[in-house]
Amino acid sequence: MNLPAVAPDAPPSNVAGRTTSITLFTTQKWWGRFFMPFMFTASRAVPKTLDAMDRLSFISFASWTLIRELPYNGPPQTVRRLRYPHLFFEVSFNGSWAQYIDSSVRVLTTGMFSFWSSSRTFPGPLPASPFQRFFKSHEIDTSHYYCAYPDATVTIVRSALALEERLDMFAHRAQNIPEAAFDGAWDAFLEDAQRFL
Amino acid sequence: MRSPNIAGRTYTLMVWTPILPGREEDLRSTLDGLDRTRSPLLRVPRTHMARWLIVAGMPVPPGTKAQDPLGGPFLLFTSNFDGDVDSYLHELCELMADEAAAIWSHCVGCPRPPEGAALKAYLHRNQVDAGFTFAAYRDASVQQIRTALDKRERLIDFAVRAQDMEPATRRTAFLEEFGSA
Repeated sequence: MNLPAVAPDAPPSNVAGRTTSITLFTTQKWWGRFFMPFMFTASRAVPKTLDAMDRLSFISFASWTLIRELPYNGPPQTVRRLRYPHLFFEVSFNGSWAQYIDSSVRVLTTGMFSFWSSSRTFPGPLPASPFQRFFKSHEIDTSHYYCAYPDATVTIVRSALALEERLDMFAHRAQNIPEAAFDGAWDAFLEDAQRFL
Repeated sequence: MRSPNIAGRTYTLMVWTPILPGREEDLRSTLDGLDRTRSPLLRVPRTHMARWLIVAGMPVPPGTKAQDPLGGPFLLFTSNFDGDVDSYLHELCELMADEAAAIWSHCVGCPRPPEGAALKAYLHRNQVDAGFTFAAYRDASVQQIRTALDKRERLIDFAVRAQDMEPATRRTAFLEEFGSA
């Protein structure tokens, strides 16, 4: 699934070019402290769980972490161990905030349950509006956000990587193609390559 | 078992540092003052994505009393980058030394002066492991992605120009443009 490149509806500090960031903390129910580590281990052990997210083709990076305590640096820091475990989630994606939520809850419905059901006040992924409110009320804006290739969507990056392989092969082959035969080879190459352009 | 911070060749770094009392607004000004179009992170070339944010407190679930005071605000830095964390932190402290010092000098326990190996050790000490990470370009480095994007742009440009070329010159022009691709 590809999202159209639209002006993101997020604060400017959460946006770099066509890439938007979301950073979220949700307070866990009592069983989240056991369930989330299990989910993380299971997801790492079975990479197929990522296939649906991969197919969405607008998420470049995402991570989930259960925060139970914070690194301690001595006084005047007072808190080390948190009262509740909190799920930290960060994601970088193309498109608008609303599109991200809407597409994610429709395509990743099961995954949404798996990753968010242990969060307090989680309303379920569908309908999307309560879930949007849930996300919004737990979000913290970034102060500075950086993306190394801000104007490229996930689809463009993937296309460019696939195209490069073909282009390099054709460029290598072209050195041995006679001038008279080049136009035919060029046309065939372009026909194959146009899906990546 | 493989580190939970790694997806493909990408490492996910998360560093939590407490902000010194009364310094939150100064730090916020420092972060707001970073050039967003020419971010200092451009000088740390292995960085795919990164962010700094100030966590003043954990969001409280609406309708609940589940407050979890942090005792003061924290600075959170996260980064998705190529390679290992040790050399990355070294580059972060060396290649954007002025900005790194200006940022982390507002934090509790930061070495004085905030630079070099001492700053690197401080950031390492305050790292929190990720639980689970996803990276869409698992095996592609920042450099590979930028090179591929550049070639794609050049090919689009060449394809347009090639339409007006004489057949005899097309091959030569292509090899000049991409022969050493």
